[in-house]
Amino acid sequence: MLTLFRNIFAAPRDLILVLAAAWLGLTLSEKRADRHGLNPNELNNLLFAALLAYIVGGRLFYAAEHLNAFIKSPFSLVSINITLFDIWGALVAAFITGFVYSQRRRMSLLPSLDALTPFFATLAVGIGFSHLATGAAFGQETTLPWGINLWSATRHPTQIYEIIASLLTLGLLWFRKADSKPGSDFLFFVALTSASQVLISGFRGDSTLILGGLRAEQIAAWVILLVSLIGIEFLKPKEVEPVMAGGRVYPVEKPRAKPEARKSAPRKAVMRKETKKKTRRS
Amino acid sequence: MQPIQRRILSVLILLAGLAWIFLRADKIGASTAGRIPAPQKGFLAPEFTLAAPKGEKITLSELKGQAVLINIWATWCGPCREEMPTIEKIYEEYKDQGLVVLGVNSTFQDNQVGIVPFLEEYNITFPVVLDETGEVARKYDLRSLPSSFFVNRDGTINEVVIGGPMSEALLRTRIEEILNSPSN
Repeated sequence: MLTLFRNIFAAPRDLILVLAAAWLGLTLSEKRADRHGLNPNELNNLLFAALLAYIVGGRLFYAAEHLNAFIKSPFSLVSINITLFDIWGALVAAFITGFVYSQRRRMSLLPSLDALTPFFATLAVGIGFSHLATGAAFGQETTLPWGINLWSATRHPTQIYEIIASLLTLGLLWFRKADSKPGSDFLFFVALTSASQVLISGFRGDSTLILGGLRAEQIAAWVILLVSLIGIEFLKPKEVEPVMAGGRVYPVEKPRAKPEARKSAPRKAVMRKETKKKTRRS
Repeated sequence: MQPIQRRILSVLILLAGLAWIFLRADKIGASTAGRIPAPQKGFLAPEFTLAAPKGEKITLSELKGQAVLINIWATWCGPCREEMPTIEKIYEEYKDQGLVVLGVNSTFQDNQVGIVPFLEEYNITFPVVLDETGEVARKYDLRSLPSSFFVNRDGTINEVVIGGPMSEALLRTRIEEILNSPSN
């Protein structure tokens, strides 16, 4: 079964799994956009802009790092080789583009990240499946009965652990009650993902060892976990205004500032009415 | 959950995480890479001895100390044909610095008669060997053609590129990496 799966989705076909997960994740995020006061189309556009920047930025950063190679063969800049890619550069480019786009569209950062959380969580599942297909992120050797035969040894199925952890994270996020604190869904996702990485990286067979045998990936995940848990503590609820009704005080969410486009809408309606009147007169 | 309960839980999670990190520290090396042969980045390149069309034999381990590009190909494979001139060009450029390109023809799924005319057509000067039994295909877990393995001077795999054609920039960046790798 595993062999068949690995044959079907062997690299570079494993990208199909990542793309399918991205598409499913985007669908889930669009469904949840309303809960965070966002327009699904705007969310879609935001993600599209960020993804485009991710792809272009990843290649450009890589080219900048290996300038000599690209000067000698400039056409390589548009080659189909996906390994000519700098993932950190891609993430920086995607974040900057997403941030600029959301600011221009007056989308608040934290609700946008909350709305995109199902996308990130589903993508993590897809990446787990991709690792399983290519044999990347493999585990240490083990004698446990659920070990898988990979790279000349029976190993911890760390890719399967990764898929299970990501599915659990997605499930917990999806069925989580709506929180009044913007950013809480996103930080909850980051905390769950980094916690599972601290756990799973302990079984990895391709860890980078530092400080006398500690695994760099685990330490990085632990620091992210710490930051996300501190972040959760500092989240503030949405601003509310007390409203008097029937002798009782009710908290009501403060209305958000209307974007320019919406302000101009009533003017357009008045203009339309005037045009109709003119037409009737004539 | 009350804020104080949440904070206690957070601290407990962080402490448990820290304990797990120290518990799973690996003094002898968490990575099994570099010690056992497997067709994956960081592992020893699996050993093979194959014959060239003219009969001379080439053993991979004899090339230890040199940067090696193993390119598995077939005459009928479009991307293989497309990348051959680039590989030849790069080989000519870097061979004096210690680069060895080893073309492994997947002969068990190719037409042996067409191999030598193919090499002449593309003016290939790097050594080509014939995988007549599928031994290399099995050892290197071959799933797509072409497949390329960039091997460091110490015999470990630096990068695996499945599919093609490889661009010139990809070949240059990877080859410069393996040329700069330590010998042991």
